[in-house]
Amino acid sequence: MASYVIRRIIQAIPILFGISILIFGIVQLAPGSPVDRFRVPRVPPEQIEALIRLYGLDKPVLEQYTSWITAFVQVWRVDAWGYSFIDGRPVIQNILERLPATLLLMGTALVVTIIFSIPIGIISAVKQYSWTDKIITTFATIGYAIPSFLLGIYIWYLGGVVLADITRDLFGTQWGFPLFGRQSLGSDNDPVDLAFHLVLPVTALAIQSISGFSRYLRASMLDVLRQDYVRTAKAKGAPGSRVIGRHALRNALIPLITLIGLSVPGLIAGAVITEFIFSYPGIGQLTITAIGQNDYPTIYATGMLIGVMVILGNLLADILYGVVDPRIKY
Amino acid sequence: MSVDARAGAGTLPLPNEFDEVDLVPVRTYWQLVRQRFLRHRLAVIAVVVLAILIVVSIAIPMATGIAYQKSSLTLIDGVSSLQAPLGYNEIGQNLFLRLTKATQTSLVIGFASVMLIGIVGAAVGSIAGYFGGWVDNVLMRVVDIVLSLPFLFLVLIIVSVFGIRDIRVIVLAIAFAGWTTAARLVRAEFLQLREADFVAAAKALGASPRRIIVRHMLPGAMAPLVVALSLGVADAIIGESALSFLGFGIAPPEVSLGQMLQNYKEYFYSNSERILYPAVVLIAIVMCASFLGDGLRDALDPRQRVEN
Repeated sequence: MASYVIRRIIQAIPILFGISILIFGIVQLAPGSPVDRFRVPRVPPEQIEALIRLYGLDKPVLEQYTSWITAFVQVWRVDAWGYSFIDGRPVIQNILERLPATLLLMGTALVVTIIFSIPIGIISAVKQYSWTDKIITTFATIGYAIPSFLLGIYIWYLGGVVLADITRDLFGTQWGFPLFGRQSLGSDNDPVDLAFHLVLPVTALAIQSISGFSRYLRASMLDVLRQDYVRTAKAKGAPGSRVIGRHALRNALIPLITLIGLSVPGLIAGAVITEFIFSYPGIGQLTITAIGQNDYPTIYATGMLIGVMVILGNLLADILYGVVDPRIKY
Repeated sequence: MSVDARAGAGTLPLPNEFDEVDLVPVRTYWQLVRQRFLRHRLAVIAVVVLAILIVVSIAIPMATGIAYQKSSLTLIDGVSSLQAPLGYNEIGQNLFLRLTKATQTSLVIGFASVMLIGIVGAAVGSIAGYFGGWVDNVLMRVVDIVLSLPFLFLVLIIVSVFGIRDIRVIVLAIAFAGWTTAARLVRAEFLQLREADFVAAAKALGASPRRIIVRHMLPGAMAPLVVALSLGVADAIIGESALSFLGFGIAPPEVSLGQMLQNYKEYFYSNSERILYPAVVLIAIVMCASFLGDGLRDALDPRQRVEN
C-alpha cells in the first residue's frame, strides 16, 4: 500500500509540471502584458521600463518559466509564489488566509451531501418505481440539470430575501440567513454566527452533488440488490433492515467512495460560483478577483493549488477504494 | 430466429408457404434508429422544443435587426405591450428581443463549441487509439493535465487573459477546456476496433493509416461520440452562461442568457420575473440537450431491438 501511494505521488509530479506549463502558456500566449495598465500619460516610459525589469518580463519566456517554477516549489519561503499585483502582499499569505474558509465550505457541503444522499439513494432503490422513487428521481434530474449559479441565486433569494419578508409579515421582525461573508462584524470566531453564514452557500453547493450522488447510489444499490448474496441473506431469514443495511448498502457504497474523490473538480468549480454569489472570502473569490484584474502571480498559484487538490482527490479515491474493497490489491 | 432454425435443420420453405421473415419489411439501420428514437417520448419532446427555440431565436433577431440593443429613456421599466411581451428593462431595452437574441447566442456557442470539440476529440482520440505506444501515452498525459483543472477555471483564465469578450474567443476557450472527454471516448472505441477483422483486412489490402482511421474506424466510433456531444451542448451552454454571469463573457450591448442574470440582486428586490425568463430558457435548453442525448444513446445502439 505504502509503495503504491508513493508510486502514485511520483506519477503526479509530471502532471503537475504539465499543469504549470499549461497555465504559464495560456498567460504567455495572451496579448498584452501585465504592465499595460500603467501605460497612461501620467506614468513616464522609464518607470514602465523599470517595472518590466523588476518583474523580469524582458527575459526570454523559458527563463521566465524556470525562474518562476524554481521559486514556486520553495513553498517554505513567504515570497515563493510572488507578490500579488493587486495588494502587493505575498500570494502565499493571501491564499493561506482564505484556504481554511474554502475547505470548510467544501467539507461541510460534502458531509451534508453524504448525509442526505445515502438515505435518499437507498429509499429510491428499495422502493423502485414507487411514487417516492419517481418523485426523488424527478427532483434529482432537475437538480442535476439546473446550472449551479442559477440554483445559487435562487437560494440567495429564498433564504435571504423571501425568508425576511415572511418573518416580517408573521412576527413583525425581519430575519433571514446572512447573505454575504463568513462572519458578522464583531463576532469573529463565533461558531453560531459562522454556521448561520454557511447555511445558504452549503445548501447551494450541496443540492447539485446530492442529486448526482443519490442517482449514483440508486443505480449502484439496484445493482447490488440483484446479487445472489442478497437473495441468500433474505432466504436465510435476515430482517429487511439488516439485509439492506449490512449486506446491500456496504457493497453499494464502494463506488460512491470513488465518486467522493472524483467530485473534487466539480466542488471547486461550484465553490468558485458559490463564493462569488455569497461574497464568501475563499479561494474561489480570490481566483475570480485575480482573473478579473490579470493578477498573474495569484492566477498561477490558485491554478496550481486547484490542480493539486484535484490530483489529491483522485489519489484519495483510488486509495480508499482499496481500503474498503478487500478484493482490490495493489 | 426461425430462419436460423430452418437453415440449421437443412429444410427449405415450400414455394406455397410464406416465410414469416418475408412478411416483415426490411428495415435499414437508419430506419431502426428513427423508430427507436421516436419511442423515446422525452427525446421527441426535446427535439420539438429545441426546434421551436432555434426557429424563434433565428427568426426574431433576424427580422428586428439590432433593435435588441436600443435603449430608451421613456421606456425604462416599461410594462409589457404587443411590441414587448416581456416589458422593458432598467435601461429601456426590449426584454423579449434581448431574450431571443440571448437564446441565439447561447445556442450558437453551444453548437459551435461542440463541433470543435468533436473535431479535436475525434482527431486526438483516433490517433492515440490507432497508433498506441508512446503517441497514445503522450496524448493521454496531455488529456490528464487538461482534466486536472476544472472546466470553468480553464475557460475563465483563457477568456480573461485574451481580454476580448466575443463569441469566437468563448467558443475557442470552451473547446480548449472541453475536448478531453470526447478524445478519451473515441480512444476507448478505437482500442476495441483496432482488433476487429475489418481493420486487419483493410491493413492487409495496404490502406494507409489515414484511410483506415477516417473511412473504416471513425464511422464505428461515431455513435458514442454523437451522444457525448449532444450532452456536451448542455455543458458548453452552462459554461458560457456561468462565464457571462461572473462578468467574463459576452459584454453589453451584446447579450447572452448568463449576462441577463448578472443583475440578480437588484432584480430580486424589484422585478424577480426578469430572472425567471432567462432562467427558464436556460433550463429548457439544458434539459432538452440531455434528453436528446439519452434518446440518441438508445437509438444509435444497434444492440437495442425494436418490436415491429
